[in-house]
Amino acid sequence: MNSLQAKVIEVCSSCSVKTIKEGIRQAADYDVVLVKKGTYREYNIEVRKRLIIRSQGRAVIDALTKGHVFQVFSDRVTIEGFHFKNVAHSYTKEYAAVLLFKSNHFKVLNNSFEKIFFGILVEKSKNGYIKGNTIRGIARDEAGSGNGIHLWHCENILVENNKISGMRDGIYLEFVEKSRILKNTSENNIRYGLHFMFSNDDEYHYNTFNNNGAGVAVMFSKRINMTKNLFYNNWGPSSYGVLLKEIYDARIEENIFRENTTGIYLEGSTRVDYKSNDFIKNGWAVKVVGSSYTNIFKNNNFLHNSFDVSYNSKINDNKFEGNYWSSYTGYDLNRDGIGDVPFRPVKLFSYVVNKTPETIVLLRSLFVDIINFSERVSPVFTPDDLSDEQPLMKPVK
Amino acid sequence: MSMLLLLLMTINSCSVQPEPIQYGHDECSYCKMTIVDKAHSAQLVTKKGKQYKYDAVECLVWNINEFPEIAENSILLVADYQNPGNMLSAGQASYIISTGIKSPMGANLSAVEDEQKVDSLLQYFKGNKYKWEQLLEVLSE
Repeated sequence: MNSLQAKVIEVCSSCSVKTIKEGIRQAADYDVVLVKKGTYREYNIEVRKRLIIRSQGRAVIDALTKGHVFQVFSDRVTIEGFHFKNVAHSYTKEYAAVLLFKSNHFKVLNNSFEKIFFGILVEKSKNGYIKGNTIRGIARDEAGSGNGIHLWHCENILVENNKISGMRDGIYLEFVEKSRILKNTSENNIRYGLHFMFSNDDEYHYNTFNNNGAGVAVMFSKRINMTKNLFYNNWGPSSYGVLLKEIYDARIEENIFRENTTGIYLEGSTRVDYKSNDFIKNGWAVKVVGSSYTNIFKNNNFLHNSFDVSYNSKINDNKFEGNYWSSYTGYDLNRDGIGDVPFRPVKLFSYVVNKTPETIVLLRSLFVDIINFSERVSPVFTPDDLSDEQPLMKPVK
Repeated sequence: MSMLLLLLMTINSCSVQPEPIQYGHDECSYCKMTIVDKAHSAQLVTKKGKQYKYDAVECLVWNINEFPEIAENSILLVADYQNPGNMLSAGQASYIISTGIKSPMGANLSAVEDEQKVDSLLQYFKGNKYKWEQLLEVLSE
C-alpha cells in the first residue's frame, strides 16, 4: 500500500505497539509516532526516518543511565513534549537525551529534562529549531556534567525560549554559523550561561543570564551581535557578565549588566561597538586587558560601579564618547546636556588593584581618593588620551 | 609569633608541588576558560613555584611555544584521558590527535600513559600518535 496520508502510530502500555522503538520500526517517512502518557524504559532509540515523534500527556522516557535517549540520523525529525531522565554519564563519551547527527530541518520542542548528561546535542546539522525546552541539571560543584544545548558544526539554528540551569555550559556553540539564540534563560550553570567558540555571524537577543560561573563567553569568533540581554549576579574571582576573547567586529547594544564582579572583560577584542548599555553596580564595569583596538563606547550608562573602566596598559586605541558616568563631578555651564570638562574613567587605584588584588580593602579610604584625584589632575600611569570628552549630564533614556 | 608566621609563609611559598586543579573554579592560564574537563586538563609549575593551570593540553603547548622560558626546569603535567582526574608527566605520556576525540580547544588532542595505550585507541579512532617533543612542533603552526 502506498498511502499519501501520514499515518499515526499510537504507542502506550495498552496499545498494540508498546514501545517507542517498535513504533518507529513500524513507521514510514512522514508518519507520526504518538506516544501516550506513561513511563518508557528505553535508551539508544535510533531514528533513521523522517518522523514526528510526539508525546501526549508528557510521556517519561527513562534511559536507565545506559545510553542516549534519542539518536537521530535523518532529516526532518520532530521530537516534542517528552520528559527525559537518567541519561548515561561518561568522561569520554557525550551521552545526550536528544542527539542529532547530520540531521537537517529538525525540531526539538517543549521537552523537559532531568538527571541527564548532555541535554540536546546537535552535530553537523542545519536549519533546526530548538524551542520551549526546560533543562535542569543537578551538578553544582563537579565538572562531570554536560552542556544543556550543545551545537557543534551547525548552521542556521534557532534556539528560543528555553530554560536551562545546573549544567556545565547552558548553551554551547562550537563552529556554529548564522544561528540565533533568543529569549532563553540560562542560570546557575557551573561554567557559562552561553559559550561561543570559533563561531561566526551569530546573534543573541533578549536572553537572561543569572548566577552562572561566568555569564557569557564569546571566544575566537567574528561578527556576533548581542543586544537586549540581561547579565546579572555573576559573582566570583573569575566571573564576568561577558568574557570576550579574540573577538572581531561585534555589536553589544542595549544590554543590562547588573551586579557582576566584572561586567565585560575584553582581551584581544577589536572593532567592537558598545552602545546604549547599562552598567549598574558592578565591581568593574569594563575591564580591558591586552591588545584591544578600535572599540567604541557610546551612549552607555555607567551607574555606581566600583570601577567604571580598568586598563592594564598605557596604550589606548579605544574611544569613549557621550556616555553617562554617575561618578562624573563636572559642570555644564552652557546647559547643552554635555559636561564641560572631560571625564577620565580609569582610576589609578584600579591599576594598583590589578597588580595587587588584596589592596581592594582600601577601596573606600581617603588615601585612595587622594591618589585617584592626583592622577586625574595629571595622568602618569593611566593612558592620557583615555577620556570621555562629552560626558552626559543625565543618564541616557 | 609573627616571625614564625612569616617563616611559615616563606616556606609555603617556596613549595613547587603542583596544586590540584579546582575543576569548575580555576581558569585556564592561557585561554581564560574555566577548567571543567578532567580528561584533558594540564598544568605547569615553574621552578619558583608559580602555578599555571590549563583547560586543555593544547593550551599548555601553545603557552610554552609562545613563552618557552616558563617550561625551563618546570613540572609539566597532563590529564590521563583514560583515567580522568589523574595527571601524567607530560614528557613521559603519549599523545593522540584524533577527530574522534574532541578536546576543549579544538586541537582534538588527548594524553594517555604510554604508546601501547595510544595504539589501542587507534584501533577505534582514526588519528596519529605523538611524543611530547613532537607535539610542540606539530602545534606550532
